[in-house]
Amino acid sequence: MSEFKLTTVDEFEAATNRLLETGAKVGADAWQIRVKNQTPHCKFGESGVCCRICSMGPCRITKKAPKGICGCDVHGIVGRNYLRFTAGGSATHSDHGREIAHTLYETAADGNYKVKDPEKLMRLAEEFGVETEGRDIYDVAHEVAEKGLMEYGKPFGKLIFLKRAPEHTQEIWKREEIEPRAIDREVSCSMHMTHMGCSSLPEALIRQSLRSGLSDGWGGSMMGTEFSDVLFGTPREVETEANLGVMVKENVNIVVHGHDPSLSEMICEYADSKEMIDYAKSMGAQGITVSGVCCTSNEVAMRRGVPMAGNFLQQENVVLTGACEAIVVDVQCIFPALGPLSKCFHTKFITTSPVAQMPDSDFIRFNAKTAGENAKMIVKTAIENFKNRNNDLVYIPDMKQKAYVGFSVEQIEKKLDGVANTHVDEMGTMVPLVDCVKSGVLRGAVAMVGCNNPKVRPDAAHIELMKKLIANDIILVVSGCSAQAAAKAGLMDKRAKDLCGAGLKRVCELADIPPVLHMGSCVDISRMMVLASRIAKDSGWNISQIPLVGCAPEWMSEKAVSIGNYVVATGIDTYLGVEPYAYGSDVVDGLLKGGLEDWVEAKYTVEHDIDKLGDLMIERIEEKRTALGI
Amino acid sequence: MLINRIFSGSDAVYGLTAEAVENAISQHGEDKAVGFPHTAYCLPCYYSVTGVKVKTLGELREALTVVKSLMTREHELEDALMSGVATALCAEFIEALKYLDGAVPYEEPCYGHLADSVIRELGVPLVTGDIPGVAVILGSAPTAQEGVDLIKSYQAQGILVTLVGGIIEQATELGLKMGYNLRIVPLGKDVTSVIHVVSVALRAALIFGNITPGDAGSLLSYTAERVPAFVNAFKPVDDVILAAGAGAIKLGFPVISNENENIVEVPGALIACPNVADFNKVSLEARNIKIKITNIDIPVAFASAFEGEIIRRG
Repeated sequence: MSEFKLTTVDEFEAATNRLLETGAKVGADAWQIRVKNQTPHCKFGESGVCCRICSMGPCRITKKAPKGICGCDVHGIVGRNYLRFTAGGSATHSDHGREIAHTLYETAADGNYKVKDPEKLMRLAEEFGVETEGRDIYDVAHEVAEKGLMEYGKPFGKLIFLKRAPEHTQEIWKREEIEPRAIDREVSCSMHMTHMGCSSLPEALIRQSLRSGLSDGWGGSMMGTEFSDVLFGTPREVETEANLGVMVKENVNIVVHGHDPSLSEMICEYADSKEMIDYAKSMGAQGITVSGVCCTSNEVAMRRGVPMAGNFLQQENVVLTGACEAIVVDVQCIFPALGPLSKCFHTKFITTSPVAQMPDSDFIRFNAKTAGENAKMIVKTAIENFKNRNNDLVYIPDMKQKAYVGFSVEQIEKKLDGVANTHVDEMGTMVPLVDCVKSGVLRGAVAMVGCNNPKVRPDAAHIELMKKLIANDIILVVSGCSAQAAAKAGLMDKRAKDLCGAGLKRVCELADIPPVLHMGSCVDISRMMVLASRIAKDSGWNISQIPLVGCAPEWMSEKAVSIGNYVVATGIDTYLGVEPYAYGSDVVDGLLKGGLEDWVEAKYTVEHDIDKLGDLMIERIEEKRTALGI
Repeated sequence: MLINRIFSGSDAVYGLTAEAVENAISQHGEDKAVGFPHTAYCLPCYYSVTGVKVKTLGELREALTVVKSLMTREHELEDALMSGVATALCAEFIEALKYLDGAVPYEEPCYGHLADSVIRELGVPLVTGDIPGVAVILGSAPTAQEGVDLIKSYQAQGILVTLVGGIIEQATELGLKMGYNLRIVPLGKDVTSVIHVVSVALRAALIFGNITPGDAGSLLSYTAERVPAFVNAFKPVDDVILAAGAGAIKLGFPVISNENENIVEVPGALIACPNVADFNKVSLEARNIKIKITNIDIPVAFASAFEGEIIRRG
């Protein structure tokens, strides 16, 4: 590769425009068109003042009609909508976590799924109080899985993982009565509270939003991450590539999209086998390229170095290349538009989960027991589809960047050990990172996460903010589509150190890391919670005192709101580039952007001007430094 | 706050320097010649960093404004480290003033400024790795014995040891043989005399690294990559020493200290090591110096450092 240069958002957009030309040729629809059709959005919905939870409505709040038919005021309506939004996100992550727990339960020494990280399993077993002494590893795995599954609906007690948080945080949760009990129970309770004629007190609704969020971050998501590591290996640093240019014209291109790694891992496994590669060759291709979109892509990139084709708003582009034999999806963030779009090309749109069924798709039901056959069938279907490609329509933008990914907490710890002095420093701690922050070599950290949203110029907010922060010696941990934006731009190339301030650059050189650390998929934000807890413990600070903030500049999904709630409830100030549907109530809005601080020592800040959003984060980090006297 | 302490140390040194320069000018006039003996590089540190040769007190005053411009006060690493470089340059100015009028400010056992010839002599073994490292020991060890043991441990590894401050007296007290032929070079008792070893590193970069004077970027990467120096600073580490330490870190030299109060560690750069007996191994790891030692069991010390030793009668 020649000189290192970031890929700009302008270049992304030029490539997209070229692909949209192909789309226009075949009469394809596109999100860009649909956004136009939907704009301007309904203000009642956007401000959260429209209520449709009973059939007396729909009601909406205006000056003339300050109350719904039941008498609920605007604060109750906005609060309920916000809570339901959160519960949706929490349910989504948690169901993902549950699937993984079931997969763990299906592991067997000679099965489709095996335990790849026994060490982590043993640590979890200890945490869960599962006996390990002299037992078969799969017996342990099954019991851990069962214990984990019980977390979803146990009748008594609180979530086991809450104990991972520093004591101070646990005390806050207890004091504020937001300790999640069972995962499903919080979602259910949220649905109950928001039913007609239940809660309309905004404080109560927001409190439950936090609890429901926590049941995701410290429950469903955390379990999803931990069990995925046990099943598929704890991520370690691995080199990969990102952006559409990772698709290979001469190969059968299979794109995995969605969230659950149980499916994508199995597909990667088969696509890598000699049998399938030979089969592809017999069909006239040179090989098989699996690439990913969204979080399932993050999962396989983190663990296998499978290249990342793109993030959320690039999912249609994958098909528009005309070179995608199959786009295989499981659950979450999958545009139903992919069905009709795939019909404009030879692409097979393969849905696999009963949870996410869509029109115009080939449904190949995937389950843990038959995973091997299912995956083989999917890979074969893709290979056999290679001959149907219309070569006149093929255009893969020549655009990709190198990326180093795989920064699990375990990997970060290892990197930090590498900079410690073996004679005087304790190994296996976050102390070197804390020291860098204390001394001012690093000013702080930002956890950047979240989606793409057409309301913000896609990827631009992620990338511009990251550039600004690293230039100010602020290190980034990222996940989800934010991570992919960084990877596509080139910010996960180690050479991106040259864009950093002197302090961060030194850290990158010393620890041999890129300035933006990919911590995984959206459930892997639970890794960030563990990281923050470890930093708190090794520094003696409370989580809310650490010069650390969270940011979701282009957030879109209910999951993002659930994430936001657990991040804030964990004591980390969170910065958003898109307004939640809450500004219709000054009480709810005021709580989210202010009052929460009295409860959990953190709050939300919303700012549409992305540059200003960056300034606000830097300001906050400096405030925290001053408060700590560092 | 580490950065504030560096700034305050740097400010203090700058204040003293400005005062000293003004005093010298009022005493001798602006045209008075200034410089070190036996060097072709005028004020070698200032020359190598800026490419400007300072020859008179008037030029020194101008140079001071350049130094001041390095002392930006943003709370960022780069600002702190450049302030460290500024501190080092101030120290060089203060030291240069000691040599006004051909004065001989240093006497046995201290060397003060080292002549170019010494650098040329030490340079080759430094490049070949025969001298695997340069230790800069600063301050007073908790006990003289610990200090001398540390010096001897480096000497036995062939490392060039330079001494600044109380450690010199401690070494003298215990009758340690010193001299650059033994690779133990006492520089001076004032902390500013540490600049004489920096001067060695920077002249080495000009002489052996063929760095263009004024090309600060290449200069700093040369010292970081090719001059295997490190600093051992005994407590108490005050703001001035911290500021000077920041200069060392900018050159790529880690600072190891037994200071445990009011100091923050910086991985790979500023390392706390409570036990002086561990300084040697901690320093070598921090500077990535790997020495293969073949221990020969003999009743006297054995190292290339003793090659220049002179045996006197009696």
